[in-house]
Amino acid sequence: MYEAVHAHPDGDSTAARFAETAARQGYDGVVVRADDARPDYEGLEEADCDVVDGVEIVADGPDRASGAVGNFRPDRTVVVVRGGTNQLNRFAVEQDRVDVLSRPFAGDGDVNHVLAKAAKRNGVRIEFDLAPALRATGGHRVRHLDDLRKLKRILDHYETPYVVSANPRSHLELRAPRELAAVGEEIGLGAEWVRGGLAEWGRVAARNRERLSESFIAPGVKRGRYEEDD
Amino acid sequence: MKHLPKHLQPRWRYLAVEVESHPDARIDRGDFQRELWYAAQNLYGDAGSAASDLTVLSFAFADGDGETVVRAYRGREGRARAALACISEVNGSPVGVRVAGVSGTVRACEERYLGRRAGNSGQRDVAFENESRSAVVRGSRVDVRGAGGFVGATQLDFE
Repeated sequence: MYEAVHAHPDGDSTAARFAETAARQGYDGVVVRADDARPDYEGLEEADCDVVDGVEIVADGPDRASGAVGNFRPDRTVVVVRGGTNQLNRFAVEQDRVDVLSRPFAGDGDVNHVLAKAAKRNGVRIEFDLAPALRATGGHRVRHLDDLRKLKRILDHYETPYVVSANPRSHLELRAPRELAAVGEEIGLGAEWVRGGLAEWGRVAARNRERLSESFIAPGVKRGRYEEDD
Repeated sequence: MKHLPKHLQPRWRYLAVEVESHPDARIDRGDFQRELWYAAQNLYGDAGSAASDLTVLSFAFADGDGETVVRAYRGREGRARAALACISEVNGSPVGVRVAGVSGTVRACEERYLGRRAGNSGQRDVAFENESRSAVVRGSRVDVRGAGGFVGATQLDFE
């Protein structure tokens, strides 16, 4: 299971500290959703768990986001677009170059069946942001939990891929998979659903690493000798 | 009052909990208990809190590392775990919380899951972002003091 984190200077802890804490909590790795952060990934190969080079694109509109996606796609393993407005959410789910649409409900954004179908068609995962469930209180939290339940209902129906993250900004905000599963159970998402969403980060990273590797040509195409017939 | 006959006594489970915070944090049992009850009340209300118990038994905290044992009714370990996960701040300091394990007795809980973390910490000056900063070192963990509070790092960042 993987967690996607905000490393320093986007957050308050370095990628190495995230990796150490995550390994202790039972994660297989962390995805660094870098905005300004530029961790030294070669040095992090010695870290306690896998560290995936990702990027989180924070843009105020689809035009700017589109340019950033084009810039980052060739050399980053995981490309996340932060949603929050209906235009950005729509843009992200219609781009097959995007891996994850994060925080679709931040601001005044929303998700409906049209976006869920588009996301499935283009293989874009929609993020369940557990941060307000863990760290907010009152009306803001109630509305967010309501949004999460609605999102689950929609994604469940269209079998749209999804990821789950607590959006930690420091190693102190990381929570172990079992804890997140317990919270998921409590807020009506279900423990299995949360575990599936955490595992999905790992699947995205593994698939994209294979695609970025030099031996990759196209999906299903391998270089080598013919398979021998009997 | 005379205690209850054995078959009417409640069955407990004890959660071993590791607490981590910044090196300058000051947290005692009462602070943690209050936050835990608030977290439970906000997550599942008064009725759910009463059905879970969530008493903090022993609590030790020094230099940003602590451990505690939290009692919950048997069968409510999952809900207790969820409330613990929702604690993000105690006494104004951000805290990380991890359930190390669950046992049927306090003694088994402490012996099996707690007391693992080495407690020696020291001060050191480190070069962080081209500046010399003071830092608190605990094993491989390094907390760098900055203008806006601590930045979490590890020895790997200074090699």
